Amino acid sequence: MLFGPNLQRSYKYMSFASKMPSLRMDQIDLKCKNGCDYYGNPQWQGYCSKCHREQMTRQRRAEKASSNPSATLPKPEPKKPERGVKQVSHSSFSKFEEKRLRQSETSKKANLLKFSVFKKSSTEEHEHSEKRAHEFKIPAMVNEGMKRDFRTRFPALPAHVDRDSRAFVHSFIMDVIKCANVMTVDELSERVQRQYQRFMKHMDTSQHFVGVDSDTKELLMDFVEKHAMTYLHELPSVVFSPNGTDDERADRAMSERIQQLSWVGERHLECKLDRNQHACRQLVYKAISELLGMDSAASPGGKLARVRRCCRHVLALCGAPASADDLLPALIFTVLKANPPRLVSNINFVTRFCNAQRLMTGEGGYYFTNLCCAVSFIENLTAESLNMDKKEFDCYMSMPASIGGSAWAAALSLCGATREAEEQREAALRVLQDAREVQARAQALHTDALAFQEQIAKKVEDVLAKTPLEIKPRREIPRLRRSKTADASPLIDLEPIPTHNPPRSLATDTSEPPPPLLNFDVVSADNPQISRTIVENQVPTEEKDSIEDQIHETDSGEICSKTCEPPVAAQPTEPKLNILGFEVIEKPSTSVPPRNLEQTFELKQASSLELLTPSPLGFTPFDSRSIDELMTPDEFGSDSLAPGLSNINYDIDLSDLSGDNSVAEDAPKEAKDPFSPDGLKTTFDPFAPQTSAVAYKEVLDKFDEFTLTDTKPNQSFDPFDVIHRSDPFSPVLTVNMEHKPNDPFSPEQREASSILDDSDSPTSACLLPSPLQPQTSNKP
Amino acid sequence: MKVIEAKIVVLGSQGVGKTSLVVRYIGKMFSKHISPTIGASFFTCNISVGDARVKLQVWDTAGQERFRSMAPMYYRNANAALLVFDITSVSSFNAIKGWVKELQSNVSEEMVVSLVGNKCDLQESRAVTYAEASSYAASIGAKYCETSALHDQNIEQVFLSTATALLALSATNQTMRSYDSADDERQNGSPTEEQATGKVELPAWNTDNIAHGELQRNMCC
Repeated sequence: MLFGPNLQRSYKYMSFASKMPSLRMDQIDLKCKNGCDYYGNPQWQGYCSKCHREQMTRQRRAEKASSNPSATLPKPEPKKPERGVKQVSHSSFSKFEEKRLRQSETSKKANLLKFSVFKKSSTEEHEHSEKRAHEFKIPAMVNEGMKRDFRTRFPALPAHVDRDSRAFVHSFIMDVIKCANVMTVDELSERVQRQYQRFMKHMDTSQHFVGVDSDTKELLMDFVEKHAMTYLHELPSVVFSPNGTDDERADRAMSERIQQLSWVGERHLECKLDRNQHACRQLVYKAISELLGMDSAASPGGKLARVRRCCRHVLALCGAPASADDLLPALIFTVLKANPPRLVSNINFVTRFCNAQRLMTGEGGYYFTNLCCAVSFIENLTAESLNMDKKEFDCYMSMPASIGGSAWAAALSLCGATREAEEQREAALRVLQDAREVQARAQALHTDALAFQEQIAKKVEDVLAKTPLEIKPRREIPRLRRSKTADASPLIDLEPIPTHNPPRSLATDTSEPPPPLLNFDVVSADNPQISRTIVENQVPTEEKDSIEDQIHETDSGEICSKTCEPPVAAQPTEPKLNILGFEVIEKPSTSVPPRNLEQTFELKQASSLELLTPSPLGFTPFDSRSIDELMTPDEFGSDSLAPGLSNINYDIDLSDLSGDNSVAEDAPKEAKDPFSPDGLKTTFDPFAPQTSAVAYKEVLDKFDEFTLTDTKPNQSFDPFDVIHRSDPFSPVLTVNMEHKPNDPFSPEQREASSILDDSDSPTSACLLPSPLQPQTSNKP
Repeated sequence: MKVIEAKIVVLGSQGVGKTSLVVRYIGKMFSKHISPTIGASFFTCNISVGDARVKLQVWDTAGQERFRSMAPMYYRNANAALLVFDITSVSSFNAIKGWVKELQSNVSEEMVVSLVGNKCDLQESRAVTYAEASSYAASIGAKYCETSALHDQNIEQVFLSTATALLALSATNQTMRSYDSADDERQNGSPTEEQATGKVELPAWNTDNIAHGELQRNMCC
């Protein structure tokens, strides 16, 4: 209740603030409430002295008539000789407490005075409280809580019972709040008891409660009491340790007393308790926790229930046929060990405001009586009552409280610890159980998944078994292509070509360039030396053939083709070339089928690089040079071939570009130009001027030629295979397709690995669905 | 059907066999028409007397001398008292006299008092004669009965006679909660006596005729 007075003050201030905004007071407010011309006095409830006396006598008479003064309800505690003050050991804190108590009391009074000054009289205050009834609304929470609780507890009862009970609770609360300031605690408790009776009578007489049996009525009574008191309990100093009582002080005194008596053990009280016994400790612990819980329960019924539960634990502690002889000492012991907070206040609260009917009878009443006995025993405890020597008793009492009872304190704390440990152990077990379940479920899920997988696999197999039909049509399409391509039968021949370079005539020409392209690219990107070696390896073989024997032929062939090119003728031949190139590429792809699209991409990159780089750099000027230079490193046909080649190539390239597919080819080159120069020029420019003599350039230049040749055929091929390759990269249409995909990649020249991959797996074909590869392989 | 609720308190010195008396009664009636709550210190039972029913709340008290001063809290609001003494111990019988005085001084209202001499199986060591006890009982307006908790003699009779007396008392005394329960009529034949707890008519809860004295007011916290 530390905050009690403050809260109350603020609460009062609030109501006052709303009540009277101004400090002005009319003359008439100071007059006697009765209307006589004398001035009223706040201490006389707003009456003048004469009227007040009359009023008081009237009241007294009325009260006598209504209720007998010798009520069963407990009078406020007859002031005990201030035990707390007498106590020997006063800690500084207790002094402080004392001071605080005194202060709070005086401040309460001061508040009252202050208010009465403003208010003219305390009867005015009474009126005010009535008025406050309007302003001061019982929070809807109470009502709502009651409704909910009612529905859950008495689902069978009709709605008007609910309404009646709520109305009663409302009026009851208002009445108590109204009277709390005016009445002493005893009067208030009597009034409360009368209210309870009123409700009881109402239940007996009202039509609404006809169908309700008596047990339910009792429950309803408890229900009403619970809700009303729960709310009132929260209001400070209204019903719980109210103003004008000594409850707080008594609480403190009791607490100190119990602390002092902490040395009192089970043998002093002659109860059979064994602190070494686990079960016993547990029971004591439970009883204590229930007893401590009494303070937290808001309603008298709740507190009673706590006491009942506590006592049941104590009874269990005592043994099977527990008699009162055992119960009381054990309960005393429990109270001593528990030292419950605000014990006296709680007990007083229950005795004053619990429905007396229940308090006097029933199990709860019995146990509560026992608790009262225990408390009373503790208060009056002497050496005699413990059957011990007076000196010893005094000795015990004078020793610091911390020493005594440590064994039990330790046992109880141990009990708490063990209880906690047990709880945690249980929790752990539960978690373990859960984990096991989860694991089992996971296992089940796993098996399910496996089964599902198998099922799926089976289904897939089934489907596969059925689907060959579906696959076939796909194959047919490529076959169609092939058939188209196959028209130029050299394709078939070409595939083996890489190995069999020499035998081919026209095909070799075209085929030659592509392999070197790939190799060169790789080389160029990686290391010039390697490239040279490779070049030397390959080039010699190829170039030997090509240069010495075929070049002329190729030249001538190409020339022928180009001369013949007039659209129809060109297509078959050039396609062959392209096909050659690609299929050469494809071959490795078939050999390395698992490689993915990426590789194919890279391939294209490489090819694109090859294709692109040369185009900007050395169309016209470099071709000749490059070839010348190429020739120079090449030991074989440098002398004879160089000029011829350069010229021829040069011519061919130009012619190709210009003449072949006039429209179609121009477009791709245009496409190339914008892309490749931007990305590549920067990178390549430095090389171009520097290394006119360098092997790269020569190679590159050569590539240019090749690429040029390549590009054409690609374009020509577009309708057939190329489209498929390009598809995955760019949905872009038509001829450009090959170039375009190349372009974006071209800047990535440096990627050596990609280029290597190219050489390894020119699997441009891989991009296409597998059927293509089998076809190519099948064809030969 | 008339139903009476009454509180009966068992008083007596320590060791006279209060608890064993009660326990014996509970144990015997357990299967029949007693609904014992936990422990032997407090229990309720329904006793049918004629066409009426008496619902007894039996409060056991601690007999130790050191708790003697707490007794008023127990017998407050009691409608009946069982004063138990040991026929082999004169002191216990003398203590009864003290109890009676206390009751008379503290309890203003009428009360059914029964004197019970327990341990009547120990006839050879009897210290309080039957005549002595019965004459004293008559002097205080109580019934006297000798019982043996050990041999289970007369115990049921004690409670039955008390119930009968309570029923008679209820006619004049308004403290007890007595009422006619109409709805009990139909359950008349049913063996479950537990249900006969309907309280239709609530007596006015009069504060003035509830037993308590100044003493207990001091005691009660």
